[in-house]
Amino acid sequence: MPEFDEGIITRRTAMLGAGGLGVFGVLASRLYYLQVVKAEDYRVLSDDNRFNFNITIPSRGRILDRFGENLAVNSQDYRVVMVPEQVKDIEATLKRVSDVMPLNDKTIKRIKKDIREHAGFVPILIDDHLDWKTFSALNLNIPDLPGVIPEVGEGRFYPNEGIFAHTLGYVGRADPRDVQKDDDPMLRQPTFRIGKTGVEAAADKTLRGAAGKLKVEVNALGRVVREWPEPKDKAVDGKDIWLTIDAELQRYAAELFEEDSGGIAVIDVMTGELRTLLSMPTFDGNMFVSGLTQDDMNKLNNDEKRPQYNKVLSGGYPPASTFKMAVMLAGLESDLINVEGKTVCTQKIRVGNRNFHCWKRGGHGLVNMRDALKQSCDIYFYELGQIIGMDRIAQMGRKLGFGTAFDVGISGVKSGIMPDPAWKQAKLGNGWRTGDTLNASIGQGFVLATPLQLAVMAGRLANGRKALVPNLLIGQDLPEMEDLGIDPEHIAIVQDAMWSVCEEPGGTAYRDNGVGIKGFDMAGKTGTGQVRGISTSERLSRLRRNEELPWKLRDHSIFVGYAPYTNPRFAVGCIVEHGGSGSKRAASIVRSVLNKALERDGVKPVTEAKTGEQSL
Amino acid sequence: MNTLSSKAGLTAKLYEINWLLVALVTLVGLVGVVMIFAATDGVWSRGAQQHLMRLIVAGGLMIGVAMVDVKVWYTLAYPAYIGALLLLIGVDVMGVSVNGSQRWLDLQIIRLQPSEIMKLAIVLALARYYHDLPKWRVSRFFGLLGAAILILMPMALILRQPDLGTTLLVAATGVAIAFLAGVNWRVIGGAALASAVALPLFFRFGLKEYQRSRILTFLDPTRDPTGASYHITQSKIALGSGGVSGKGFMNGTQRQLEYVPENRTDFIFTVIGEEFGLIGSLLTMGLYMLVIGLCIWLSMQCKHIFSRLLVLGLTTTFTLYIFINLGMVMGLAPVVGVPLPLISYGGTVILTVMTGFGLILSAHLHRKNELPRSSF
Repeated sequence: MPEFDEGIITRRTAMLGAGGLGVFGVLASRLYYLQVVKAEDYRVLSDDNRFNFNITIPSRGRILDRFGENLAVNSQDYRVVMVPEQVKDIEATLKRVSDVMPLNDKTIKRIKKDIREHAGFVPILIDDHLDWKTFSALNLNIPDLPGVIPEVGEGRFYPNEGIFAHTLGYVGRADPRDVQKDDDPMLRQPTFRIGKTGVEAAADKTLRGAAGKLKVEVNALGRVVREWPEPKDKAVDGKDIWLTIDAELQRYAAELFEEDSGGIAVIDVMTGELRTLLSMPTFDGNMFVSGLTQDDMNKLNNDEKRPQYNKVLSGGYPPASTFKMAVMLAGLESDLINVEGKTVCTQKIRVGNRNFHCWKRGGHGLVNMRDALKQSCDIYFYELGQIIGMDRIAQMGRKLGFGTAFDVGISGVKSGIMPDPAWKQAKLGNGWRTGDTLNASIGQGFVLATPLQLAVMAGRLANGRKALVPNLLIGQDLPEMEDLGIDPEHIAIVQDAMWSVCEEPGGTAYRDNGVGIKGFDMAGKTGTGQVRGISTSERLSRLRRNEELPWKLRDHSIFVGYAPYTNPRFAVGCIVEHGGSGSKRAASIVRSVLNKALERDGVKPVTEAKTGEQSL
Repeated sequence: MNTLSSKAGLTAKLYEINWLLVALVTLVGLVGVVMIFAATDGVWSRGAQQHLMRLIVAGGLMIGVAMVDVKVWYTLAYPAYIGALLLLIGVDVMGVSVNGSQRWLDLQIIRLQPSEIMKLAIVLALARYYHDLPKWRVSRFFGLLGAAILILMPMALILRQPDLGTTLLVAATGVAIAFLAGVNWRVIGGAALASAVALPLFFRFGLKEYQRSRILTFLDPTRDPTGASYHITQSKIALGSGGVSGKGFMNGTQRQLEYVPENRTDFIFTVIGEEFGLIGSLLTMGLYMLVIGLCIWLSMQCKHIFSRLLVLGLTTTFTLYIFINLGMVMGLAPVVGVPLPLISYGGTVILTVMTGFGLILSAHLHRKNELPRSSF
């Protein structure tokens, strides 16, 4: 006898069983949906979960001088970054951080901007170049600040207190324009620094190296579980850049400038390598790396000596009497001139309705070409210029390098101005006058040259055969130097006259006090660049001495030269802004620099000094 | 047949046990060992080993339980139920809190989870209740009231712990037994209506904040992508990325990287799905269906209502475990913390489930025995 109604329980068992089967059916179809229909989507999500590509920034290449001395290096940089996605409350965290190290509003604004513009896992720089004390204080507080990471990175450092600043340039954060031009992923890393100016900018691609792509596995919290065994792309460190510069020589030159403003270039007369390329005063490139304060900025911008301006490459100055070699050579090459022909200098000549003056009170008396250069007689060159005309002068000027922006591998090189009638017509819309020729004949008026061009001119004159091309980066592909195309005999005449300037009594740069180049003769030319008009009344009464004038109105002191006189090695162009007569400030700097350059180059006197010999 | 004292009889009785069910259960348990091994990065000692040991111990217990006459279990049904109730109250008073909920009773030697015991006890108690209840009273008021009290008391206590998953499991099992016992459709309809009204109220007042949040998140997964729904999302990614054939044994990436939390316990199925794909998932489900089907078949051979309801009730619990766990892992049910029976790592669950299978085997082994009805 069944104790219960078997029918009901069996029926209901069947119903539940069927229901269960139905549920299994639903589960199985769900599995089909997940694992077959949507499988691909989930596979992608799963890979996203696993991998991140972390950009690794390689070490930036160093910049070295010709002997391997460090001009730009990477130093340990204590900094603190923040990974936004690991920070719960950014506002509060920044506040906590600013308790330890003050953050000004500008910095906070920049940080917030960075956070907005980057993915959450990209470390955002809070501040760098921290001192050790701040850095350790931060480290102490780190447990309370999740997502804030103190790290020791590499920062650019320029030793030498800015003496190479104009040439080296500096690095800084990549700005939107950089990012637009260049899709290198490193540029989007907030800790990356890109070359902004100078060699840093020009050779940036070489210095920068190649970003590494590190495939990392991350867990759900973004924590790196492990680095993938074979990095997708290994970071390639940047290559070093070697400069032709002799750091010691440039430091020496900088010392000689003292507080003065100006530029000096020293060039190897055989190869065109620049041993010194200095603009004074300098600025500290390190300020730009760590971020310039408004105060620093104002200081730099308001300095009347314009420290940021690269005078040696960009500064256009009247070459003044140093241009006379070009006029002289143009005359010699023209066959219109008798070398021994003389003229009388009575301090002024009248051309048209204007008086043109010689710098020497009372005039030079009877002078020939050699004397005219030696004593820098303006009257002689006024007359010479008138005879041969501006086109010949300009042509010779260009042969010597005036009016050319030499590509030394960095930006900022200016061409100066080598004027001629066509130039004036195009530029100013009026015709060339005789007065313009007269002014140009003594390197005034429209003629403008950079210190680099002066050095190149001196170098070409010293070399005599090749049109020397200046260069700065070792290993740069250089075009074959062209022939100068000037009669060597004519060159020799100019060289001899330049020698007399320095080594013969009566020469504008002659010093009998023993200050000279030990064991060598040198050749050169002084120049005094006038920056003000001199009124007739002042000229009649008494020319004010430079020291009586405000700095801005004083003459530029200019000197070009080379040494040794026989077998020349180095040529120099130097301008000391408002430094007075060329025979003083600039000549003495050049003399010392040439002395040092030869000493450092190990040049021993092989020929006897030329003594008072009147050649040609 | 029921001479327990004779050694020869004992061997014969052992032989009578349904070894097919034992084999299937063991197979599922071994799947668990393998998958825990994978989930713990192949470190034998981080779960797989313990799981195997527990299987052996619980397997012995299962056979032991099976050998005991079902009459004994019938007799023990109410005492077991009352004992479990008392333990639940004990948890409330002096329980150990794990993961924010009090479910454990620390008895020095073992930590007991009374709600696990209640899962068995409620089935025993209800089976006995309907065994004893005259058929005509099943759908009457007092017949219903008795069953309701038996179900609601443990529910209330388990919900207090709080453990929503087990509460629902106990409720569903109880309702299923009442349904099988023959409660008529009118009552069933009324109860369904009453629950429809009570559910929103229960949701509002009967649940803890985190439980509400889990359910809301289940309904809208975008609500909290890194919190509660995070588990579901990552679990779906693990399953989905497995595809048809899976990434291969020990090659799962989701589990390696700790994307799927608790993947050796509640989310073990994601490891199966990720590493063995659709094929492995369906095979596992098929294995479970065989176990369930066999249990239902065994129940049909029982001659008395206690055994039938006992087997079916325990089977229902087992099945609900599977449904809730798989539904949760696949994103079809809220995350309620129900393990996948026999496969998930976890001591008490294995013990409960294997004891349950012991009871089923016992009911089947003693299917032909007379079981007199107690006076009610």
